[in-house]
Amino acid sequence: MNIPTTRRRVLQGLAASSAAGVVAAPWVGAFAADTLVVNAYGGEFQEVFQKTTIEPFEKKFGVKVTYDLAGMSTETYAKIRATRGSPGFDVAAELSEPEILLGAKEQLLEPLTEKEVPNLKYVWPRSRLIPAVAAIHYYQFITLIWNKDKIAKPESWLDYWHPEKKYGEKIKGFVINFNPANTLSIFSMMLGAKAAGGSIERMDIAFDLLRHQKPYVGTVVTASAQAAPYFENGQVWIAPYWSARANWYMAHGYPIDMTVPKEGTIGLSAGAAVPVGAANKKLAFEFINFRLDPEIQRAFSLGYHCSPGRPDIGDWPKEYVEKQITTQEQMDRMTFVDPELLAKKRREWTMQWQEIMGG
Amino acid sequence: MSTVLLDRPRRVPAISSTVLLAGPPAVFLLVCFVLPTMYLLSASFLQSESGVITGGFTLNNFETLLKRSLYQALILRTFVIGVSVAALVVLLAYPLAYFLVRTSSRWKGALIALSLSPLLASVIVRTYGWYVIFNREGAINQFALNLGLIDRPLQLIPSTPAIIVGLAHALLPYGVLSIMSSLNGLNPNLERAALSLGATRWRAFWTVTLPMTLPGVVGGFLLAFTLATSAYATPAILGGPATETIATMIRTFMTALLDWGLGSALGVMLLVSSVILLTAAAALGGSRTRV
Repeated sequence: MNIPTTRRRVLQGLAASSAAGVVAAPWVGAFAADTLVVNAYGGEFQEVFQKTTIEPFEKKFGVKVTYDLAGMSTETYAKIRATRGSPGFDVAAELSEPEILLGAKEQLLEPLTEKEVPNLKYVWPRSRLIPAVAAIHYYQFITLIWNKDKIAKPESWLDYWHPEKKYGEKIKGFVINFNPANTLSIFSMMLGAKAAGGSIERMDIAFDLLRHQKPYVGTVVTASAQAAPYFENGQVWIAPYWSARANWYMAHGYPIDMTVPKEGTIGLSAGAAVPVGAANKKLAFEFINFRLDPEIQRAFSLGYHCSPGRPDIGDWPKEYVEKQITTQEQMDRMTFVDPELLAKKRREWTMQWQEIMGG
Repeated sequence: MSTVLLDRPRRVPAISSTVLLAGPPAVFLLVCFVLPTMYLLSASFLQSESGVITGGFTLNNFETLLKRSLYQALILRTFVIGVSVAALVVLLAYPLAYFLVRTSSRWKGALIALSLSPLLASVIVRTYGWYVIFNREGAINQFALNLGLIDRPLQLIPSTPAIIVGLAHALLPYGVLSIMSSLNGLNPNLERAALSLGATRWRAFWTVTLPMTLPGVVGGFLLAFTLATSAYATPAILGGPATETIATMIRTFMTALLDWGLGSALGVMLLVSSVILLTAAAALGGSRTRV
C-alpha cells in the first residue's frame, strides 16, 4: 500500500518536530546554574561526605547538589572517556593518580590552577607533583586488617601471603585477594615482595607469593566496597585494605582490627577534577575549593578517618595524629608509587594475575 | 472548444509503507547501535600505550588475546556455557511448554503467567538468590551438613556449573515462549492421526510433534545461547577469576583497566564468533525443517 505524501504534509511534520524541540530545549539547561552534580562513592563514604561537605556547601552557596554514585575510580574515568568529557556530572570527586594522569594526557579534565581553586596554594607539596587537572583532597594508606575473633594480629605482610605459616590450615578459604584493577592488589603484592627480601619493584617475587597464596584464597573481589560484607560476616579473616575505610568499619562495630606491618605501607591520594564538558564548571571549581577549606577538611578527615589534603590544620585529637599523616615529616616517610609506572605496567600485571588466579 | 488542462498539485513521490514502517526503527538502530558499536570496535585495531589510545593500525590486541592460553580458555568456556545453558533451557522448557499448551485447565492463563513471572524480577535479584543457596553458608551446604553427607562446606561458587544453573533459570521463560508458539501452531489432529494409525504416544511425539515444533526449539536454543554467551551479571556474581567469561572480561578491560583496545578486541571476537555459530545453527535448523 502506498501512502501519498504531499509537500505540505512533510513540512507540517517537520514544523511540529522542530516546535517540540524548541519547547524542550530550555529545560535541558534550566537547572545548570543552581545545581551541581557530584560523582563520588556511596555507602559509608556518602554518609560522611554528605554531612561534612555536601550539606555545608549547599547551605553556603544556596545551591542543590545531586549525588551521582560512583563505583571504582576507573569506572568514573571510563564514563568520562566514553562521553569525551561530558559524563553528566560536574565533579569527579574520587579519582586516583593513574586516572588523573590519563585525564591530563587525553585532555578530558579541566586545568586547575590557583585562579580557579585558590585553596590549591595550601595543599601538601607532594600534591603539586600530579598533573594540574585535579586537587588532592585527602590521603590514606594500605594496611592489613584481620578478624580479631578468629586469628592473632599479623606482624608482617608475609602473614597475609603465607597465611598457613602463622595460622595453620584453618585459614584456608578465609583469605581474600583483589583483582589488580584495584590498587590494593598491586600495593599488597609490592609490599609482599619487599617483605620477602626483594623490593617493591620485584613483581616476579610478588607473583610467586600469589601462586603460593592461591589455595588459601576463598574470596576474590575487584572493588574495595565488595569486600566489606565478607569482613562483617566473618567469611574473610585477613585482607589488605585502605586505612580510612578500615578505621570506619572498626568504629562501626565490625569484628576487625587494623595494623601497618613491620615492612611498612604505601600511600594513596584521592583527587577531584572537573570533566571538560561539565555543565556547571564555575560551581564545580567552587566545590573543589570549598572542599579544601580548613573546617571542611577537618570535619571530613575526622569523619572518614583519613589524612587531610593540607598540612596547615592543627589541633587534631591525639589518637588521630598517631594514625594519620598530619606533618611534613610523616608525609616524607610515606612511600608512594609512581602513577606512570602503574599506568605502564598494569596491563601486564593484570594478565599475569589472571593467569595465576584463573589457571 | 479547446480543452484546458489544469495543473495538478505537485506531489512528493509516494513513500512505500515498508519504508515508513521499517525506516524509523532502522534509523534508530543505525544511530544508536550500529554506529556506536562500530566506533567502539574500531578501538580494537588501534595501538595503545599505558591505557591511552595512541592511534596507528595494529593487530596486537587480537594477537595478545589469541596467543595466551588464558583467553583461549575464556573464549571456549563462554561458548561451552552458552551451549550448555541453551540445551538445558530447551530440555526443561519443552515439557513445560507442552503442558501449558495442551492443558485444558481453567487456570491455563494463570499457569502461563506464573511460568513467565520470573521475567518480572531483575536477573540480579534472581542470581543473588542462587548465591544465597550456593555459598558456603548457604542452603545446600547447610542441608548436606545437617544430614551428615559432608563434614566441611563444599565450594559450590565460584564455578561454571553454578553459572550454568543461574543462567538456565534466568533464560527458561524465553525457551518456554519460543516452544509454546511452535506448539500452538501445530494442529493436534496430526498427533491424533498418528495415534489412530497405531503409533505409541512416544512415537507420535518423536516422529510428528517434535519435528514439527523444531523451529520453536531451534529458536529457543538460539535465543538462550545468544543471551547466555553475552550475559554479564550472572557470571559476575556466581563466577570468579577461574570462571571468567568474555562479557566479564570485557568489563574488566573497559572499566577497571581502561584498556579499550583489548576490551574492544574481545568484543569483536564475541560478535564474530556468535554470528558464525548462529548462522550455522540457523542453517542447520532450517535444513532439518525442510522435509
